[in-house]
Amino acid sequence: MSERVPLAAEVEARLRELGEVDVLVGIPSFNNARTIGHVVLASVAGLAKYFPEKRAVLVNSDGGSSDGTPQAVAGAEFTRSAAILVSHPLSPVHKIVTPYHGIPGKGSALRTIFAIAERLKAQACAVVDSDLRSIAPEWIQLLLGPVLQEGMDFVAPLYLRHKYDGTITNSIVYPLTRALYGKEIRQPIGGDFGFSGKLASHYLTKPVWDSAVARFGIDMWMTATAVADGFHVCQSFLGAKIHDAKDPGADLADMLVQVVSAVFDLMDAYEARWKAVEGAEAVPLFGFPHGVGLEPVSVNVERMLGIFRQGARDLGPVWEKVLTADARAEITVLAAAGADAFRLPDPLWVRIVYEFAAAYHRRVLPAEQLLRSLVPLYLGWTASFVRQTEQSSSEEVEAVIRELADEFVRQKGYLRKIWG
Amino acid sequence: MWRQVLDDVIRKTVSGFAERLAAFGPNLLAMVLILLVGVLAAGTVRLLLRLTLPWLGFDRFAHRVGLSAALEKGGIARAPSRVLATATAWTVLALFVLLAVGALNLQFAMDLLTRTFSYLPQILIAGALLVLGFLVSGFFERSVLIAAVNAGLPPARLLAGVVRTALLVLFVAMALEHLGVGRQVVLVSFAILFGGVVLTLALAFGLAGRHVARDLLERLTRKREPSGEKELRHL
Repeated sequence: MSERVPLAAEVEARLRELGEVDVLVGIPSFNNARTIGHVVLASVAGLAKYFPEKRAVLVNSDGGSSDGTPQAVAGAEFTRSAAILVSHPLSPVHKIVTPYHGIPGKGSALRTIFAIAERLKAQACAVVDSDLRSIAPEWIQLLLGPVLQEGMDFVAPLYLRHKYDGTITNSIVYPLTRALYGKEIRQPIGGDFGFSGKLASHYLTKPVWDSAVARFGIDMWMTATAVADGFHVCQSFLGAKIHDAKDPGADLADMLVQVVSAVFDLMDAYEARWKAVEGAEAVPLFGFPHGVGLEPVSVNVERMLGIFRQGARDLGPVWEKVLTADARAEITVLAAAGADAFRLPDPLWVRIVYEFAAAYHRRVLPAEQLLRSLVPLYLGWTASFVRQTEQSSSEEVEAVIRELADEFVRQKGYLRKIWG
Repeated sequence: MWRQVLDDVIRKTVSGFAERLAAFGPNLLAMVLILLVGVLAAGTVRLLLRLTLPWLGFDRFAHRVGLSAALEKGGIARAPSRVLATATAWTVLALFVLLAVGALNLQFAMDLLTRTFSYLPQILIAGALLVLGFLVSGFFERSVLIAAVNAGLPPARLLAGVVRTALLVLFVAMALEHLGVGRQVVLVSFAILFGGVVLTLALAFGLAGRHVARDLLERLTRKREPSGEKELRHL
């Protein structure tokens, strides 16, 4: 399928020159000149340190950066990292810097990386974000190792995160993905993945490259496709993920729409698969998970509750197309509760998410309006979660999230029933 | 002699009536036939639409765009597909009635037919404008309502209502303008109404809400300063 992906003439020539490789590290980028040099060095050091005998290539798939990102990759000094190596690579790590074609977005960038992986017959690949500040050479081992040494096809990342980081992931993406596909993937939209050459070729066969997946939602799509299509999946603990703020002004509603629409779209695509799945099981875990210190986090719970209450007061005409009368009645009662006593119970939250998923499937409202109307409810859940876990340690918070995920599994029959 | 004159008059009258009846009879028959076909066609169209529209998901679509709710508010409790089927059937029947009247070949009937058919495109376009206005205003009302709630703006419903009303007024004015009904009056009324609303809102915001306006502008122009504390990240 890689022949359908357009590549520049010089890249084609470079591929012919390289022939075949064992491993590939892909870095999609767009205006990341400040950080990409570090990502390249860490990747190359990881390849040299952990896979010195493998023929390796590093591919930067760039979306037309204007800040010199490709030049930063081309000029990255590989020899510097040799100082920390015990063994030295048999052959140097090759570089391919290429612009990608198609719809602007991470999906199109990764498509180019998949195509190059297929053309070079790479056995194992890893993709890492270009804005990472915390990437270490070990990440390369943790993403490629399970594929090369354990026969895995897809390696999902497991990060060390603050208890209030990734609340969309914790409240919707993780528990819903786990309940749908029956696999314990804690960070389905982590952004850094390992995968086999076989899976890269499989991705290329999917007709999604002219859809929203090409712009956003590629992370969720990669995870769901790997799990739903029966590939061997695992997780690797990478430690903390620190990266540049992607867009400080990014609107919460925009984020929620992009992420949740990606999950809901996949529910349509894999309807038969998720309907057949019962329960959820753990997947192999590589690396050494450990806890995280809890620095103060500023969370304006009052503002969140204010928006939740206003939603309960004003969004009735919208929610009545989406939610059942029982759910709306419970929300109305909750909205009247005092701030200190406010708790959004797990069973109600799960019902809300499932009813939104079914409404999205039935197209009862334009998708964007439907998902934007979820924002006040999501903020209600987040406020409740913050209140509930104010004094909790990381482990205790994980237990709370795990309990929510189990509730998603318990209510899956309800989702099947209302799906239609 | 009087008897002969009377016979002639009666004979001529009867024969004239018979001639006119013979000449007019086929037209009358054609009219009756066209009416019968019209009734049959209207019935068939109604039946077909009542069967196919629900199957095509029209009721779901109507529910989604708020048409069902609007019909309910107007006291029509029937399914939108049935309402549309009945309305279409009546339209078909009305067309056949016009054709039937035309079949009489009378001057006034021909004039009526010509005027009606020449006016029909305007009526259809005006109707389409009203339907479009209803859909567009409903869509924007919902968008504004959701965005205002998400932004924590207290008068969310008021804002959404203003947007819907303004759009509906705009589309009604366009439809009336298209029909040629009081063209100047509609245009001037709309301009005065719209200008008045904008002026009122500007004054209300500037006078009663000047503190809010100042805060809003300050927030928009102020650069985000690092608080030193980590903030909640949703992704």
